[in-house]
Amino acid sequence: MDFLVQQFVNALALGGTYALLGLGLAVVFSVLGLINFAHGELMTLTGYGIFYALFLGLPFPVALLIGVTLATVSAMLMERIAFRPVRNSSPTTMLLTSFAVSTILHILFQNLISARPKAIPIPDALAGAVTIGTLQIGAIQLISIVVTALSLLGLTLFLKRSMLGIAMRAAAEDFNVTRLMGVNANMVISTAFAISGLLAGVAGILWLFQRGSVDPLMGFLPVLKAFIAVVLGGLGSLSGAVVGGFLLGFIEIALRAYLPDDALAYRDAISLTLVIAVLFFYPQGLVPRRESVR
Amino acid sequence: MSRFLKIGVSLAALAISTATGALADDVLKIGFAGGFTGYLAPYDQPTLQGIELAVDEINNAGGIDGKLKIEVITRDMRSEIAQSAVMAQELIDQGINVMLAPCDVDPAVAAGQIAQGAGIPTIAPCASTPTLPGIVGDYMFANYTADNLQGTALADFAIQQGYKNALILISKDTPYTEKLPGYFAKVFEAKGGKLADAVEFKMGQQDFSAEVTKIKQLNPAPDVIMTAAYEPDFPAFIKQLRSAGIATPVLGSDGIDSPTTLALGEIAEGVVFANAGFPSAGSPLAKFNDAFKAHFGQESSTVYTATGYDVIKIVEAAVKATGGKTDGASLREAIDNLENVPVATGTITYKGMNRVPLRVVALNRIVGGQKTHVADVTPNGADVPPAE
Amino acid sequence: MTLLAIKDLVVRYGAIQAVRGVSLSVGKGEIIALLGANGAGKSSVLNACMGLAPKAGGSIAFDGVPIERETTEAIVRRGMTLTPEGRRVFAALSVLENLEIGAAASAELRRRGRENREAMFELFPRLAERRQQLAGTLSGGEQQMLAIARSLMSQPTLLLLDEPSLGLAPNIVDQIFDLIASLKTRGITVLLVEQNVELSLDIADRAYVLAGGDVVMAGSAQELRASGGLERAYLGAA
Repeated sequence: MDFLVQQFVNALALGGTYALLGLGLAVVFSVLGLINFAHGELMTLTGYGIFYALFLGLPFPVALLIGVTLATVSAMLMERIAFRPVRNSSPTTMLLTSFAVSTILHILFQNLISARPKAIPIPDALAGAVTIGTLQIGAIQLISIVVTALSLLGLTLFLKRSMLGIAMRAAAEDFNVTRLMGVNANMVISTAFAISGLLAGVAGILWLFQRGSVDPLMGFLPVLKAFIAVVLGGLGSLSGAVVGGFLLGFIEIALRAYLPDDALAYRDAISLTLVIAVLFFYPQGLVPRRESVR
Repeated sequence: MSRFLKIGVSLAALAISTATGALADDVLKIGFAGGFTGYLAPYDQPTLQGIELAVDEINNAGGIDGKLKIEVITRDMRSEIAQSAVMAQELIDQGINVMLAPCDVDPAVAAGQIAQGAGIPTIAPCASTPTLPGIVGDYMFANYTADNLQGTALADFAIQQGYKNALILISKDTPYTEKLPGYFAKVFEAKGGKLADAVEFKMGQQDFSAEVTKIKQLNPAPDVIMTAAYEPDFPAFIKQLRSAGIATPVLGSDGIDSPTTLALGEIAEGVVFANAGFPSAGSPLAKFNDAFKAHFGQESSTVYTATGYDVIKIVEAAVKATGGKTDGASLREAIDNLENVPVATGTITYKGMNRVPLRVVALNRIVGGQKTHVADVTPNGADVPPAE
Repeated sequence: MTLLAIKDLVVRYGAIQAVRGVSLSVGKGEIIALLGANGAGKSSVLNACMGLAPKAGGSIAFDGVPIERETTEAIVRRGMTLTPEGRRVFAALSVLENLEIGAAASAELRRRGRENREAMFELFPRLAERRQQLAGTLSGGEQQMLAIARSLMSQPTLLLLDEPSLGLAPNIVDQIFDLIASLKTRGITVLLVEQNVELSLDIADRAYVLAGGDVVMAGSAQELRASGGLERAYLGAA
């Protein structure tokens, strides 16, 4: 029983990080129809932001703030410089642009900063654990769960309460009609990128807490997981990205916890097969994107 | 007619000069098909720095034996196996005398096979899979501490510490992360230890909560955990292990010889790991590190700079041994018979080793965020499990 | 006084020319009907006015200012907006939110949002009953009302309406046309694209008939009725 509950907590923490990552991809996809594969590099930028801030002797919380700000600003710049000029091109053009941005950033990181990982010392306080009954929850796990919950709550409030948030939900359904409301298209897209950068920054910090270093390729795997989460939940659907992220977390933990040793090597294959099985029954994803009746 | 003759003669001359390559020139050409971008960049970039330093030193002194200068030609194989073969071919077309292969076994095989066919000796500066030279052929040499050697050194240490029950954490994603702990387990069991479990992970997974929860369930608990996981997996693993309240000692491999491990603080305290050398005061490695800093204006961030330097010292020793002959066959023969070549990380012997070098394995312990020297060990050849 | 002046407008989607040199004008306070068969280019004219269709030539002036290079949102801020064909309400947003976003164009509008929303609820009491309901769950007629109300939230001086009667029950269609006629009394000029010729001519001051991307007839409602050429235009024989 303890084993089960512990693994449940594990899945919650991992799924939450995937949810944040997936949400970052989904926010941009919902308004622009673009899967931004350079999303992972925003996480990497967060890492380098924190690294240099600590290098300059700034306190840890300030460094985290700088990391997240850097990701947010970079996301907006990415949109302005790389994606705006191709906004009305085919989805393939935009997709390739995102690959190009990702590759260029990789190479810049490798050649201007270092191909070797840069260490980010995480305060010892974050290495502890909280004991609840017989359950032991790592401080970082607890932070992951709390931060994920707060981020989801904050984003929900923004989307429900603010005019810009409502505009973003509207734009996700029907971009042109949203413009007919006098909503500034650039503003909406820019905000979507800012939110995705913010989410990448927050997820990047959670990721960094675990790994303790940043290297040029750090964002590659997370963005892949986020992509799976987003497809699982339904492309462009924000709640879908969250559901997909958590489900992916639960599938992965369940397989790692309960697969017999001999089958462990195939767990990624099994988890992707499960994802495909879900898509077989829900081809549009679990929570398909809503579109207005045309 | 005479004109045709002239063209014919010059074509023949061209053919001869290409075939004999550098014999005609007063320069030794070393080609490095490295992954300067992509996932190998963290290894091949520092390796290249070490190479540059060694070549600079030698050339500034007038060349090998004061007369033969070295020219290094690099090609970025972008960490792709297919590109590795293509770049190897390009280098051979440039008339290189010695080839250096990328830092991972699969692309190193790809490059090595091309050079093997052309009769040009290849050295892999940091690929550590002991089967590598055997797979490619008699022109392929390893340089780095082989995985079975390292696994044996760590198992010897574990036995010495009185550990009885070991758990290994492996990943089948690379031979390094799978086989190195495997060699460790073999030696550990052969010397009376018991293998509690082999827990598997996926490289880059970062989340080790499920694995740690499993380890926590084990009864009896293991008294040592050995792994060849490295960044970002190792820091993530040990963090989650410690925060789950598991205090079992951890043994690691040279992959964790990185500033990140030292920056882990309290968590990494007491971790023992093997690597290619410890820079004790006055040691060749300490001297190398000083020279590196003087040359590049920054500290060497990894031992791969030193092992890159070593490769050039091997080539230098081989050329000296041939008496200045630089053709492939002579160089191959010379490298294969090198003994006790002084290099940055100690000494290297190839004679009688089937092209996998005999080197010292250094054991380090992390104390207060610093590496401290435990011992330099040269495992007993009979204990080292055969390469597989 | 001319509010909207379109001259020699050409709209092209790739190789297909949807509008081939249309000129028309809408005077302040008028209701103008733009009639024609499917594919005559009516919707393309409206979309071009709003900057949503690719213009390949010609000029569009709103209130004397050329707007053919302006963005959709800038045009809305100038006081012209479009209620698109097929209603296109934001299905996942509540009725209230749909109206709220209708007032997104300027700070001034946002300030008066609550007041204007209440005015809309007075105009459409059925929407008032459903203010918290998701727009996607409304009936077709209610969605059309919401779409018009949403457009009115930006307080336009010129409202472009694209097929407001499409797919609605006859009694609802009547209600919608009554409403459109009443907009005139609220000082709103209307350019109406419709397939329902009879009802359109009932409320319109003037009308243009489009066929194959060209204006083939124009005149007052009476003139067009009298000429008897409408059927031919719809059959594409003009």
